[in-house]
Amino acid sequence: MTWRFDNPLRTLTSDEQNKTAMEVWEAESMGGIMENNNRLPQPVVYLLVLTIISAYLITFPLWGQRPTAAIYEEFVATMDSPEVQALPNDAAQMDYMVKKASESGSKYATPHINHPISMDDLRTIRPQIEALKAQGVVLDDYTVVGNKVVLANFEGNLRADGTQVRQQPWWDIGYTIDIFYVIYFCFAVMIVVKRLPPNTVQPRHGNERMLSDAEIAELSVHGQKRRVA
Amino acid sequence: MLMKYLMGKNEDIPPGTASIFFSFSAIVWFIIGTGLGSFNAAKLAFPDWVTGFEFFAFGKMRQVHVMAVIFGWISMAFAAAMMYITPALGNTKLWSEKLGVWSCMNWNIGLAVGLFTLWMGMTSGREYSDFIYPIDLILLFGVLIPVALNVWMTIAKRRTQGIYTTNWFFAASIFMLLIVLLVGNLPEYFHLTGLTEAYLTWWNAHNILGLWITPVAAAIAYYTIPKITGNPLYSHRIGHLHFWSIVIFYSTPAAHHLMSAPLPEWLKSFASVEGVLILVPAIAFVSNILLTLQGKWNMFVENIEIRFTVTGVLLAIPLNMQGGFQQTRSINWYIHGTGWIVAHAHLALLGFSTFIEVAAVYYGLQVLMKRKLYSLALANFHFWMLLIGFSIYWIAMTIAGLIQGAGKIYEVPYIDIVVAEHPYMIARWFGGTLVFLGNCVWLYNMYMTAREGTPVPAGRMVHELAYER
Repeated sequence: MTWRFDNPLRTLTSDEQNKTAMEVWEAESMGGIMENNNRLPQPVVYLLVLTIISAYLITFPLWGQRPTAAIYEEFVATMDSPEVQALPNDAAQMDYMVKKASESGSKYATPHINHPISMDDLRTIRPQIEALKAQGVVLDDYTVVGNKVVLANFEGNLRADGTQVRQQPWWDIGYTIDIFYVIYFCFAVMIVVKRLPPNTVQPRHGNERMLSDAEIAELSVHGQKRRVA
Repeated sequence: MLMKYLMGKNEDIPPGTASIFFSFSAIVWFIIGTGLGSFNAAKLAFPDWVTGFEFFAFGKMRQVHVMAVIFGWISMAFAAAMMYITPALGNTKLWSEKLGVWSCMNWNIGLAVGLFTLWMGMTSGREYSDFIYPIDLILLFGVLIPVALNVWMTIAKRRTQGIYTTNWFFAASIFMLLIVLLVGNLPEYFHLTGLTEAYLTWWNAHNILGLWITPVAAAIAYYTIPKITGNPLYSHRIGHLHFWSIVIFYSTPAAHHLMSAPLPEWLKSFASVEGVLILVPAIAFVSNILLTLQGKWNMFVENIEIRFTVTGVLLAIPLNMQGGFQQTRSINWYIHGTGWIVAHAHLALLGFSTFIEVAAVYYGLQVLMKRKLYSLALANFHFWMLLIGFSIYWIAMTIAGLIQGAGKIYEVPYIDIVVAEHPYMIARWFGGTLVFLGNCVWLYNMYMTAREGTPVPAGRMVHELAYER
């Protein structure tokens, strides 16, 4: 089991050992089945790379973030104001609040668009948000699920006051684990594959070991075809 | 004959006996499973059909159908394939035909008892692990561990230096299945509830598909395609990529079944990426098999086993494209809990894996019984009944799922969705019934092959001989 590292992209095994492996490969018939040593075709390699990139892009945390209670805090604060109440209906009132938040440079302007809310739902979650504000908690730690405001199930660092950050970072820990996981996988498979004889060497079929008549009779199953050297 | 083999000496049992028993058992369970599926589908299509009997209620019959198909048809066909392919690839005999025959008998009895208890309403209530835990333990220790022992010992006692790709998958998959069933049923053994139960239920369900059904079906294709075409497997190297990527990427995405559940978000993110990466083994597998077929595509038309196998391999493409992307948050939001998922599950079990297994059973029975297939015409009829029936089912349920998804998102009254789906429920029943009828013809064909198939001369392979009917 000797290793060599002078040309790792070609092979990690010594020439002598590769030669022995290829001799076994050529002489051995496994139930009449043969194998070649071809590399993965280049278009398929590109397809695999595309797959790995897609896996991260299509599932990136920003595409799956839930609305936090903080997003709607501004709406709760202004929904009873005279200028909002002067508008004729719920839809107009909501449009006004979204527009006003955007014009005032609210950091939640984009989440307002991504997570629209109806006035009816806003009225339902309002007392919950006000109760949380009264407690002095960080509203970003709370998620709005339907008509309920609940503690988000992220588990971040501890704050100085002993509470835990409950916010999804853009570098979500699940994705971080995945990056390492995929890198380990690629390394491991590269090592496994590069321990084989290089793909420039193909087995010459037709030299598989002949099965004797006695062996064929003994096995008597499997449709073993005798191969002639 | 069964008693003679059960009580006889191992040396006196003809090679291949266990596989033949498993093969015929699998076909019978396939007929039972698809018959139950057709019956259940009829209840959805025609709600007034067979009412008033508690034991024929959909809620009791559904899981009997699911478990009969997974552990009767699919898993027994796998066992049949393992019992003849594993020794063939090692140029040896099965380690113990007697243990194989006992495993088959225990499996049939254990499954029959399990399905009867389900039918009587005794269930764990957990999808894909519906059996009560004593039945789980009987199947685990009385059936699966003996089958695993037979496979592992046959490989250990092989008369080749190397181990062919198919046998890596067989040996590893059955090991992983044992772990999956042991861990996946922990909620029952220890009365775990809530989120833990939900997660372990879907960890079990996902991995039965990912670490048992998918890799073993692929392993069979790795055998049948080179064996029947005579072409060498295109790439041993790609086999490595396929094997390790299935172990690494298929074992981890269980949480993607619960994207809306209050699981830790990092776990869902992790699972979602892994879910897309399921495409890595799929691409490796499909490319390796299709490249192996170079120069022999005529056999896709001319040879019934190749046609079944390649159809199954081609169905792996839409299967994995669906599977990879439907679990992402944005798509899952729409199709979760709809008939789309039912269509996808049937694409995996009735499409991809069934077509490959059917080929393995056709080929294995002819080789082991040394009889050429009784009727090619009936086999062709079986193929088209299966393909047309499955296609109708899959398309109908996919459309029904999209309708349900729209209804769910736009809060359409439930009864309106039921009305909109009705034509697709009829199509579902019709497609499933075609599959059932095709399987009845298959059993007849294999029975007649055993009785009247043309004997295959020693040293010849079955696919080299011409059909006589």
